[in-house]
Amino acid sequence: MRILLVEDERALAKEISDFLQSEHHVVDAVSSKKMASENLAVNSYDFALVDLGLPDGDGLDLLQDVSRYQKDASVIILTARTEVGDKILGLESGADDYLSKPFSLLELKARMQAIIRRKSGWRKDVIQLGGFEIHLNEPLVAFEGQEIKLTKKEYILLQFMLINKNRVLNRFQLAEHLWGDQLDDEYQSNYIDVHVKNIRKKLGAYGQVEWLETVRGLGYKLIG
Amino acid sequence: MKLFHKLLIFNLLGKGLFLLLFLMSGPYLLSYLILKNTDRQLIEKKSEVLALITAGGIESFISEENPEEGFGSYNILKEEYILLEKSAGERFLEDSIFVEKRIIEEEEISYRVYADLIEINGETYLLEIGRSLSTIEQIETIFYRIAIGILFSFLALSFFLDSMISKRIMAPFNKIIQTKIARINEPQEFHDQSIQSTTQEFELLDQAISEMMKRIQKSFNQERVFISHASHELKTPISVLQSKLEAIFGDENLSPYQSEKLMDMQNTLQKMKKSVNALLLLSKVNNAQFIKTEAADLKKILEGLLEDWVDIADDRGIVLRKIGVDPFVFPQTNFSLCQMMIQNGLSNAVKYVKESGEISLSGKKYDDRYEVLIENDGEGIDEKILDQVKNGLVFLKDVTKEKSGFGLQIMFKIAIFLGVGLEITSVNGKTRVLFRFPIEG
Repeated sequence: MRILLVEDERALAKEISDFLQSEHHVVDAVSSKKMASENLAVNSYDFALVDLGLPDGDGLDLLQDVSRYQKDASVIILTARTEVGDKILGLESGADDYLSKPFSLLELKARMQAIIRRKSGWRKDVIQLGGFEIHLNEPLVAFEGQEIKLTKKEYILLQFMLINKNRVLNRFQLAEHLWGDQLDDEYQSNYIDVHVKNIRKKLGAYGQVEWLETVRGLGYKLIG
Repeated sequence: MKLFHKLLIFNLLGKGLFLLLFLMSGPYLLSYLILKNTDRQLIEKKSEVLALITAGGIESFISEENPEEGFGSYNILKEEYILLEKSAGERFLEDSIFVEKRIIEEEEISYRVYADLIEINGETYLLEIGRSLSTIEQIETIFYRIAIGILFSFLALSFFLDSMISKRIMAPFNKIIQTKIARINEPQEFHDQSIQSTTQEFELLDQAISEMMKRIQKSFNQERVFISHASHELKTPISVLQSKLEAIFGDENLSPYQSEKLMDMQNTLQKMKKSVNALLLLSKVNNAQFIKTEAADLKKILEGLLEDWVDIADDRGIVLRKIGVDPFVFPQTNFSLCQMMIQNGLSNAVKYVKESGEISLSGKKYDDRYEVLIENDGEGIDEKILDQVKNGLVFLKDVTKEKSGFGLQIMFKIAIFLGVGLEITSVNGKTRVLFRFPIEG
């Protein structure tokens, strides 16, 4: 996919850009509203990741350019601003999602994938893993046609690990995906262990779950 | 008591006092006035009698054959009488008015009598004109009743008018209070529109309140901008750090030592991130920067939390029980904050409950409120400290539990912002966290 990244904080732009490139995307990173407008008018993008606080204006204004020149492009607003109005205005102006800084790059990836799945018309998206069928668009896990009951949190966790398979995910990243900023609890990373243990227990009753690895001292990794 | 009612009562009492005075003094006053009027009428009648004597001569009243007999006349009901007779001596002074009994047809009747000596053809005659006192008293009673009726009608009418006028006079005051204070939950909701009034005091009040609200609004807006800038300045470097750490973390060639150090850094960064987020959240809640236009289905929230937490509690050997959850939707609120508030209460209970202890969660609907109660075995927090936390004076930093100390503060602030009552009590080793959601009539 070709992605336009509009971010004036160069260090952050580089990290996001490097990450997206490592995921095999083509990234055009610009640091101002003017440059972003020019790129939007000339190139064709699948995604625009837009920071709101740009040196030459409000990133929200770029949403008009996106709707004019890039009708099929999806937009995620990335911002450190906290005002509720920005979020509402952003989503009302056509943004597909809103991600508050600081965010995990894996969270960004998960959000992008969710938008792609949603825009592709909710087509059936099932991943086969060691005999298990894990549905990405509905909270459904099955083994040889038999439905396995997971809690909402367990399913979200499994889905996130699937999106980021073959990558070590630490407990903080997993906790952030599950709870966001909602829970002020230093223990929440330990709660991840409980959820993973339950996933293993529930799925283990049907088949082997060795594809869900514990990486000692770090976190978990889903091999697929 | 409302000023409107005070004015009304004051007016009513003033007029009531006047009415009471009249009720007490009215009979005497009326009696005096009616007697005076009767006396005047009696004197007028004397002139009429004299005119008749002048026209018809004394003979038409007193016969020449028997002049000692005199003349007496009274009407059919004996209400009035006229007596004319030769004077027997100086019995009366001229123009005497008095009350005396007279016997007419064997009936003794009290009269108001006007008596005078008149001279006709060299003879002195005694003229008496009388009106019965019972007639006068009847008139008095009628007048008194009419007067009382009029006064009571006046009192009722004046009460009605006072009420209308007071309401009209007080209308701008009520409008000022309602539109500029009572209905303003957050300073952002204030719109500076002057309230029309012909009362100078209300105009001044309106201006003063508007100025005060504008100052508060300005201060809130400045704080909002500051929070936004502070948020940007604090969160951007954390974002950069987090992205860099994640990038290194994704390197599969890291040695265990490097991985361990990276995790430590990640841990510290997470703490920093949480503290910044918590502080910004507190500022935003204080600054009313959250919309309250959503509905929160509390039954769904509680059941969702139970599902999320029952395994976590179980893993620690704690029993998390649901004791009845009634359905209830809390309107005009912020769903995320509402969920966060209850979740913080539950996560605190999980953390502080005794080993192998028990936590119960319930949601009960009453006529005027919905109560969410989280009860657990475990040491509570001292009431004085709780008060300080509630007022934002201290944070409960618990080093042993690696807690940031913002959790309780966030819970209290959200509760205040959402208009939810929050009580935390610790009795006999049990801690109760009670959220009271008001139900509007």
